[in-house]
Amino acid sequence: MKSRFNLILVGVGGQGLITLGRLIGEACIRAGLNVTVAEVHGMSQRGGSVVVHVRIGEGDSPVIPVGGAHHIIAMEILEAGRSVRYANKDTVMVVNDLILPPPLAKYPGKKDVVDALKSKLGKVYLYDAEGVCKRIMGTPISSNIALLGFSIGVNPALESLISKDAVEKAIEALFKEKAVELNKKVFEEAFREGRKSIGG
Amino acid sequence: MNPILARKGETVLLMGNEAIARGALESGICMAAAYPGTPSTEIVETLSDVAKDLKIWVEWSVNEKVAFETAYAAAISGVKSLTAMKHVGLNVAADILMSSAYAGVKAGFVIISADDPGHHSSQNEQDNRWYGFISHIPVVEPSSPKEAYHYTKESFKLSEKYGHPVILRTTTRISHTRQPVILEEDIPASPVCKGVFEKAIDRWVLVPGHAKKLKIKLLEVWKRIQYDTGEPFAKIINPGMKDVIIASGIAYSHVEEAVRILGLESKVTVLKINMPVPVPRKPVEEVLRNAERVLIVEELDPVVEKQVKSISTELGLDCKIYGKEYIPENDELSLQIVYNGLCKFFDKCNPGLWESIGDLKLEPAIPPRPPVLCPGCPHRSSYYIVKTALNRAGIRNVIFTGDIGCYTLGFQKPFETQMTSFEMGGAIGVAHGLSKVVDETIVAVVGDSTFYHAGIPGVINLVFNKGKAIPLILDNSITAMTGHQPHPGTGVTATGEPTARIMPEDILKAVGFDPIVINPLRVKESISTLGKALEEFKNGKNIAIVSRARCALEVLRDARRTKTVLPVYKVNPEKCTGCLACINLSACPALVVDPDSRKPVIMEDLCAGCGLCASICPFKAISPANTPSQDWERLW
Repeated sequence: MKSRFNLILVGVGGQGLITLGRLIGEACIRAGLNVTVAEVHGMSQRGGSVVVHVRIGEGDSPVIPVGGAHHIIAMEILEAGRSVRYANKDTVMVVNDLILPPPLAKYPGKKDVVDALKSKLGKVYLYDAEGVCKRIMGTPISSNIALLGFSIGVNPALESLISKDAVEKAIEALFKEKAVELNKKVFEEAFREGRKSIGG
Repeated sequence: MNPILARKGETVLLMGNEAIARGALESGICMAAAYPGTPSTEIVETLSDVAKDLKIWVEWSVNEKVAFETAYAAAISGVKSLTAMKHVGLNVAADILMSSAYAGVKAGFVIISADDPGHHSSQNEQDNRWYGFISHIPVVEPSSPKEAYHYTKESFKLSEKYGHPVILRTTTRISHTRQPVILEEDIPASPVCKGVFEKAIDRWVLVPGHAKKLKIKLLEVWKRIQYDTGEPFAKIINPGMKDVIIASGIAYSHVEEAVRILGLESKVTVLKINMPVPVPRKPVEEVLRNAERVLIVEELDPVVEKQVKSISTELGLDCKIYGKEYIPENDELSLQIVYNGLCKFFDKCNPGLWESIGDLKLEPAIPPRPPVLCPGCPHRSSYYIVKTALNRAGIRNVIFTGDIGCYTLGFQKPFETQMTSFEMGGAIGVAHGLSKVVDETIVAVVGDSTFYHAGIPGVINLVFNKGKAIPLILDNSITAMTGHQPHPGTGVTATGEPTARIMPEDILKAVGFDPIVINPLRVKESISTLGKALEEFKNGKNIAIVSRARCALEVLRDARRTKTVLPVYKVNPEKCTGCLACINLSACPALVVDPDSRKPVIMEDLCAGCGLCASICPFKAISPANTPSQDWERLW
C-alpha cells in the first residue's frame, strides 16, 4: 500500500493559507495526483490560528493525524511552534521568519521557539519569505508562494510529487496578468534558495 | 473561466460546496435560495456567480424559512430547485420541512443541510440526519467532496423518482475540502425555468382532513424508499466476511484508509452507506446474515446504529453489533480516531505509526490565538462608544444580550458586550424576557443581517409587550462573517442587481422606537450623541441604536481597487507614556507592545486606519503617519 503524503499549512487567518492550499491542489491536478485540501472558513478565520491539511495520493479522508505530517509550512513562528503536534522526528519544517503576537498576550521570543523546534526536529528551515517577495514585488503579499518554492527546494520527497513545472502551471491558472510572472519569479527564487540551503 | 462552468470530461479542483453547486447545475436546477451560514455558504455563492450567465434565479433570502419556501414553490410548480443552509438553519425552516414531505414535489427538490461536527463555526453540532425521521424525508450523505458532486445528482434523481423532497447532508470537512472532480456531464443549456402552478387543494392545503390522507401516502413512499434503494446509496465491499464494518458518509473515507493501514482489506466486509436515513434495507440485511461481529462507524449520533440494531432484532439474528463503544459520539471523526477505534475492535495495531514529537515546552508558553475582531472592525469602535456612553450616563452593570455574527467575538475582554448568544435573532427576545425579571439596563446587540433574519419579530414583541431594552444594531451593511453576502440593507441582490434598500432605523421607527444612527468611526461625536439619547432613555423613551460603518475587510479591498490611501496610524514614542490604554481598551491586533521599550507599536501592514486607538489615547500620542486620500472616509 502506498501511503499518502501529508502536508500541513499553518499560520494566522488572512495570511494567504487558503490560496496556498488551492495552488498546491491545482499543482496536484497538473501532476495527475489525487489530493484533498481541507480548510477552515467563517469565524475561525478571523485572525485566529489556521491549519490547512493537504493530503496527496489515493484516499479521501481529509484530516492529518497528530504526528502524521511529512512536511509543515508555517507562515508564522508561534504557529510553527503550535503545529509541532503534527510532526514526528522525520518531519521537514519550513518556517517563515515572522512573528505575529496575539494582542494582550505574553509570548516566547523568536529565537526561543526556533531553538526549541531545532532541538526536536532534524530538519527545520527558517526562511525570510517577506524578504524575497519585497525584493521582487515590493510587497510581502506572496510570502505563501515563496514558502512553497523554498519547501520544494529543500524537500525532494515533496518535489517528487509536485514538480516546479506543475506549480508554475498552477500559478498560470490561478493568477492574472502581471501577477503570474511576479509570482513565478518569487517561486523560482525561493526554490533556488531552498535548494542552495541543502547544498544543491 | 469560472471552473464551475468547465466542460464535461475536464478535471477541476472543487471545494465540496462547489461540487454540490456543479452537481445541481448538471441536474438542471433553475432556482436556488439560501441564507448564508458556515459551512453551507459557498453552495449558493457559487451559483450566484454564474446565475446571470446561465439565466437561473439565485437569491440570498432573508432567512432559511423564506429560502426554503421560495425554492419549494418552484419545485411544486415543476421547476427543479435547491435550498441550502447550515444545520441550525434547518431548525428555522423545520416547519415547512415537515409539510413539504406531506405535499411532495413536482420536480426535483434538494434541501442541503451542512452540518458542523466539531463546532468549527457553530453553537452546536446537532446531527441533522434525525430530521429525516421526523419529516420522513430521505437523507443522502456523501463520503468526500468528489462524491458530493455525484450524490447531489443522485439526490435530484431520487427526488424526481418519488416526487419527494430529499435532504443532502454534508459536513464541514466535505463542504470545505477541495478535491479534483472529473466532470461527467455538461450543464444543460436550457433547463426548465417556467413552472405551472396546478391547483390541487387536497395536496397543497394541509388542513387536517387533507393531511390525514397525505400521511398514508407519505408512509407508503417512506417504505418504498427503504426497500427499493440499494446502489448507489449502499455498496458492499469484500462481501461474505464474519467481521463487518458499516460506515456512513465521511466516516467511510476514514474506514477505507484505516482498513488499508491495518491490512484488513481481505478480512472484513465493509458496507458503505450513503443514505443513512432510512438505511437501504436489503444490503444491510445481506451483510448482517453472514456477520458475527458488526462495528458501525458514523460521525456524531448513533443514527445508523439504531436502525441496524432494529433490523437485526426484527430478523432474529444473533450477531453482536457495536458502535459508540468504539467510536466517539461527540466531535468530528478523523482517520486517527477511526484507526484507534478499529485497533481496539480488531485487537490489532501498527506500532510506531504517527509518533508525534509532542508540544514544545516554552516559558512563556505559546499563547492561544482565538479569532478576534479584525483591525479596523467597526464593531470594536461601536462597543467602545456604547460602553463609554453608558458609563458616562451613570448606567452601570449593564446586561448585554448577544447574537450570531462576527460581533459575537465581543464576549471576550476587554469588551464583554456579549453575555448571551444562543441562536439567530435571540438577543432581542432574551433581552425582553430579562427585562421582565431583572432590574439592570439591558442592551440587545444584534448584527444587521441577523436583525433582518429573525430580529424584527423580537423588536415588535418588545414594544407590544412593554419590555425595556435598548436594541443595538451593528450595521456593517453586509453579511460579514460568512464572507460578505448582500442582505436587504445592502441595496443589491445576490447577483449584483440594484434593489430597494431597507434600513433598520426605518423598521425600528415603524414599530415604535426612537432610533439613533451613529458612525463608529467618529468616536467622540458618537459618544456625545448617545449620551443625549441615554438621558431620554432614562426618562422612559424607547430608544434603539444603529451603529453604521462598512466591514473593514470590504473597505480595505475597495481601497486597494480604487487606489485610495487610508490613514495609517503611528505612536509617537515621545508623547507615549506606555500606559497601554490603547491596547487594553481596543485589543486591536495591529497594536503590539515593543519588548524593549514596553510601549505600543502599530504594525502598519495591519492598521486599517479606523483611528479608535487615537481616540482612546489620553496623551494624544497616536496620529496618522501618512497623508490619506481626501475622500477616504467615503469608503466606510
